[in-house]
Amino acid sequence: MVDQVATLPSSREFNPWPVGIFICLLVLACLFLAPTIGVMLSSIKTTREIAEGGLWDIPTRLFLGNFVEVLANPAVHRYFLNTFLVTVPATAASIALGVLAGYVFSKLPFWGSNLLFLVLISGMFFPPQVILIPLFQFFNSLGLIDTLWPIIFIHTALGIPICTLLMRNFFATVPNSLREAAILEGANEFQVLTRVALPLSLPALAVLATLQFTWIWNDFLWPLIFTQSDEKRTIMVGIVNLKGQYSVAWGVQGALSLVASLPTLIVFLFFQRYFIKGMTMGAVKG
Amino acid sequence: MANLILRNVSKAFGTTDVIKSVNLEVSHGEFVVFVGPSGCGKSTLLRLITGLEEVTDGQIIIEDRDVTYLKPSKREVAMVFQSYALFPHLTVAENIGFGLKLSKVPKDEISARVKEVASVLRVENLLARKPRQLSGGQRQRVAIGRSIIRQPKVFLFDEPLSNLDAALRVVMRIEITRLHQNLGATMIYVTHDQTEAMTLADRIVVLNEGRIEQVGSPLKLYENPINRFVAGFIGSPAMNFIKGTIDTDDNKMIARLGPYTMEINKPNLNQGMEIEVGIRPEHIAIVSPEEGILTAEVEIIEKLGVESMLYLKTEASEELLTVRTDPKHTIGTGDRLGLKLPESELHFFDQKGDLV
Repeated sequence: MVDQVATLPSSREFNPWPVGIFICLLVLACLFLAPTIGVMLSSIKTTREIAEGGLWDIPTRLFLGNFVEVLANPAVHRYFLNTFLVTVPATAASIALGVLAGYVFSKLPFWGSNLLFLVLISGMFFPPQVILIPLFQFFNSLGLIDTLWPIIFIHTALGIPICTLLMRNFFATVPNSLREAAILEGANEFQVLTRVALPLSLPALAVLATLQFTWIWNDFLWPLIFTQSDEKRTIMVGIVNLKGQYSVAWGVQGALSLVASLPTLIVFLFFQRYFIKGMTMGAVKG
Repeated sequence: MANLILRNVSKAFGTTDVIKSVNLEVSHGEFVVFVGPSGCGKSTLLRLITGLEEVTDGQIIIEDRDVTYLKPSKREVAMVFQSYALFPHLTVAENIGFGLKLSKVPKDEISARVKEVASVLRVENLLARKPRQLSGGQRQRVAIGRSIIRQPKVFLFDEPLSNLDAALRVVMRIEITRLHQNLGATMIYVTHDQTEAMTLADRIVVLNEGRIEQVGSPLKLYENPINRFVAGFIGSPAMNFIKGTIDTDDNKMIARLGPYTMEINKPNLNQGMEIEVGIRPEHIAIVSPEEGILTAEVEIIEKLGVESMLYLKTEASEELLTVRTDPKHTIGTGDRLGLKLPESELHFFDQKGDLV
């Protein structure tokens, strides 16, 4: 007891480390947030205000003309629709294939399955620039340039490795006895997957749905390569396209950027509860 | 009539033989317990019967139907897992009715049968709960409920009580016995727990290294083990073993146990034969050191209330001898005692471990 009392004052001494770390994190947070704040500020200013060099000034009045212009623009509606037409099927298809492959790798291993799994996962490590030209030639030969199909196919294919990896690891945590119990009750493998394994894997599915949706929605490269006409553009390419002929329409682009990021934000908020659970899964067996 | 027949059933994983030509017939309504040390193949044998593992060789027959290569769901067997294996996302009612739902039984019928099973197992008031909201014993009841609702031909239990605490295990043991009496179903039960095996079984199958060592009623195995393995495995505390040799003295057959000798009358033992003498702890009689065949010193006393266990150091054996006595004795640690080993209670094993 005496020792504890004696050491008490020293524990109250000023410790500079937490303060230093806090300042570093604050600076980093500001650096990361600066572009977003810049976009937000520019979206509520007129082109004249921005052109006068006041990009970072706090606006004296709220100008919503940029949002009105963006939301009333039929081309923007088309961009949104195209992005949905790419993102939703590609997200669903990559997750569905990842679930099937992950289940087989985790619960129904066969001779050479570990090697095959590694080959599949290695797909994650190819930079897109390496496969860009062959893919362009391939889809060109199929006559699919300036359609949304190549983007859907590519995103589905590129999503398979990460979806398979995550689902395999998650299914591995589902006890084998549950599968065996279901089989004894008369379930076939597909029923084991749909009635037992998948309902237990909602956190993993939520993580994948959020990640895949965000990646595909925000993708710029593949739509840029495979679409040419304005009718086929997705939202990220569309933002660039909104710049004026002789000057950059910062305000309009800023407004569209904010509107364009809303769906991913909504998806994240929708799955947030599962997402956090999924990110920490495996840390503690619940 | 045999309900389940195993004919030369073998199973190998790669080059490792796990089950070696097992033959067994289980009658209708019989409660058979598989016991054996860890890794003896008892759980594997159970999984072969369910079809979760495929036999390497042999035949499995359930009610005159060869099910050796049938799917698990077509064999009409149900299994209760050690980990309960309840589906965590389903309620108790959904868990119990899972198999019926898969077989597309009408909802009303499922609901009625689930209620019936739940009342048998006294879980009616838990039907809306999820497994995580149940205690260990309740989970085990639900797991049993899921297995009985489909009215299978054979029930298989894979160490179902090993995750429960000692008190609950006793309660569940009685419940399983009651269930067996009520259903009159064929049950096969795997355990490494002596007491469970002795109390539940009509017949015990002792397995060792993938082979059946002996099959018989609990009392038969206890009183007449056919080899040293069964003698040592069945019974708690275990049988005492003392190494010795057979000799003659004045034309009488004697067994030399360390420095001690005792006269025996076993015509099938030969002079010079190396043997091991086995005797149950309750059969060793305590007498004064002068009267005893062996003398021993008390090293440890365990007072269990209903009885006491004495662990004795003797020159006849390197292992301590265990003696079961009346708890009212006045023996203390360090006392010197004489021991008598009644010949009628002795089991003689040869060097291979077989009963002589």
